[in-house]
Amino acid sequence: MIDLIGFAISWLTLFGIYAILSLTLNLESGTAGITNFGKVVFYGVGAYVAATITTYMTLILNGVDVGETPPYDVRGIVLLGELGSRNPLLNVGLLVLSVVVAFAAAGALGYILSYPIIRVGPAFVGFTLLSFGELLRVFLQHYEPVGGNKGLMAIPTPFGWVADSRLREVAYLGLVMGTLAVTYIVTYRLVNSPLGRTLRAVRDDEIAALCLGKHVPRIKATTLFIGSGFAGVAGVLLAYYLTSVNPNMFVPAVTFNVWAMIILGGFGNLKGSLIGAAVVTFVDRALTFVTPQLGVTLISPDYLRWVIVGLLIVVVLMVSPRGILPEEPIKTPALDIVSDELGGESE
Amino acid sequence: MVPGMQQVVLNTVQYALFYLVFSIPLTLSYRTTKVMNFAHANFITYGAYTAIFLHGVLGLNTMSIAAVAAFLVAGSMAVLSNLLVFAPLQRRGSSLSIVMIASMGLWIVYKYLLYIVTDIAHHYTAKNFVSYGRITYVDIPRIVVGGAELSQALVAGLAVASITIASLYVILEKTKIGRAMRAVADNPVLAEVSGIPRALVANLTWFICGGIVGVGGVVWTSFSGATTPEAGDSMILQVFTVGFIGGLVSLLRTGIGAVLIATIENMGIALLNTYLNVPVSFKPFLTFTTLIATLILFPPLGAGGGLPYRFLRRGSRR
Repeated sequence: MIDLIGFAISWLTLFGIYAILSLTLNLESGTAGITNFGKVVFYGVGAYVAATITTYMTLILNGVDVGETPPYDVRGIVLLGELGSRNPLLNVGLLVLSVVVAFAAAGALGYILSYPIIRVGPAFVGFTLLSFGELLRVFLQHYEPVGGNKGLMAIPTPFGWVADSRLREVAYLGLVMGTLAVTYIVTYRLVNSPLGRTLRAVRDDEIAALCLGKHVPRIKATTLFIGSGFAGVAGVLLAYYLTSVNPNMFVPAVTFNVWAMIILGGFGNLKGSLIGAAVVTFVDRALTFVTPQLGVTLISPDYLRWVIVGLLIVVVLMVSPRGILPEEPIKTPALDIVSDELGGESE
Repeated sequence: MVPGMQQVVLNTVQYALFYLVFSIPLTLSYRTTKVMNFAHANFITYGAYTAIFLHGVLGLNTMSIAAVAAFLVAGSMAVLSNLLVFAPLQRRGSSLSIVMIASMGLWIVYKYLLYIVTDIAHHYTAKNFVSYGRITYVDIPRIVVGGAELSQALVAGLAVASITIASLYVILEKTKIGRAMRAVADNPVLAEVSGIPRALVANLTWFICGGIVGVGGVVWTSFSGATTPEAGDSMILQVFTVGFIGGLVSLLRTGIGAVLIATIENMGIALLNTYLNVPVSFKPFLTFTTLIATLILFPPLGAGGGLPYRFLRRGSRR
């Protein structure tokens, strides 16, 4: 018997996390034209920030000597399991701290990384960010304080003190959806602001924007800061959701997944990103539920899934490059007045 | 003095040859077709796997036959990618970024298709194709220098690299088709107006570029102790960095870049490992530092759709 409510909760949680990524990637790539192939970098930084802060702080504040029993050690993991769900205030406090630090760290990294790349073309931007992700992974694999190849496990979750597991999942889903709502409002306001219009100008014709006095590098750096910051927050949510992080979770494939979402949903259309994220995560979850029922197959469903993701990107770009929902004109007060006057005909 | 210096030098030469064979076609294909092809890594892998399947399924261990087969396989892959994806997108006037994103999609498709094929081959032959051991070829001559025998990979690498450079030089400088390729690279519209069949030239460029990279992949099977479907991906950072050093325009600078990156990587990590105890797997950091330094110090202006921001940066903008 398939647990439908459990499926819905896990799908929606995953959807919320990925939708934050796809919304911000759409802001960066769809609206501002920055070919960010390194989304996973900022996602991973956020997840690791949350994991490190939460595990170390939980142990330290409970009077455990982390020099003796670090959180990646077996004894540390056992201790985390015991101490993790005792103090609701501590759990929620660490969540807030993680979100703030992850936003700042990922955003700052995005801002710094933009320095060498905003002056060169999209080919260099995409590739530099892509390869930085791989470097980060190599670094994490060898950096002992965050667990090296094994990563960090038994991360205390913000709602660990809730006794009922279903209730805990629902509470967490509420947190993810709340964050998604904030992200949507922020990106929506940004896209429909004067900055959003400048971003579209930069995307469509950089030289023209430059000639009109827009400081293109600074605008791109700002966009990367905002987008990366939110990706960091998405990483925090992922770390708490899975309660473990390891370097092999943050492969370039994650970035491609997010790209498939925004291409499917439509470049420059935020609602499209939500639809794209919903479709891709649904297929993902459904396959995860179905795969164990199939037993051993000649062709691994996992590989097939990736072929489908790749084909999705190529085919949508070939057949209908605007995606499901095409880009909309920017909402400005003036446009609202005009369309009211015309009785909605201009829509 | 670093211990094992001789091995480090040999590795440097070997990698310089690989990067040469892999990145010169990248620069050539980019400058002729203006496609930033992320599926370039697949050409390496598919070339290597052509040799592996010939060896594992048919028991063939002649490198010359494997090289011809790999040239055809990787070359046709490149032409097919162009015919089915890149050319239609470009005809519609898609931007450089869109074509690049499509090539990224192709990259994923090719990579996991290969995984599927290796699984099927494993099912029927019960051999491990996901990590295939080094292949010893029978038709590579033994060369002894100073009492030490050169490895097969080094001999094959030297041969492939010199044949590649010599034939590319002859094709690009001495033949009519090469002149057409250079003309399309310099100014595609003008070339087309002058009666050069641009689509044909593009397809031919793709075939040559894909083919050369595929042959490089065959050499890789005689070097690597464990070839995986990720073989090409693991070198993509170095290959693209070398291409960027050449600004994606100059073949000569690309060649110099190949030697430079191989030296920095192999010598650098040997020194760091000996004196500072840095793990050898941190090799990509040196390459990445070079990449960032290249982008900051010598931004490839104009190439890859970039803007001449140099003027903005030097404070001429008030």
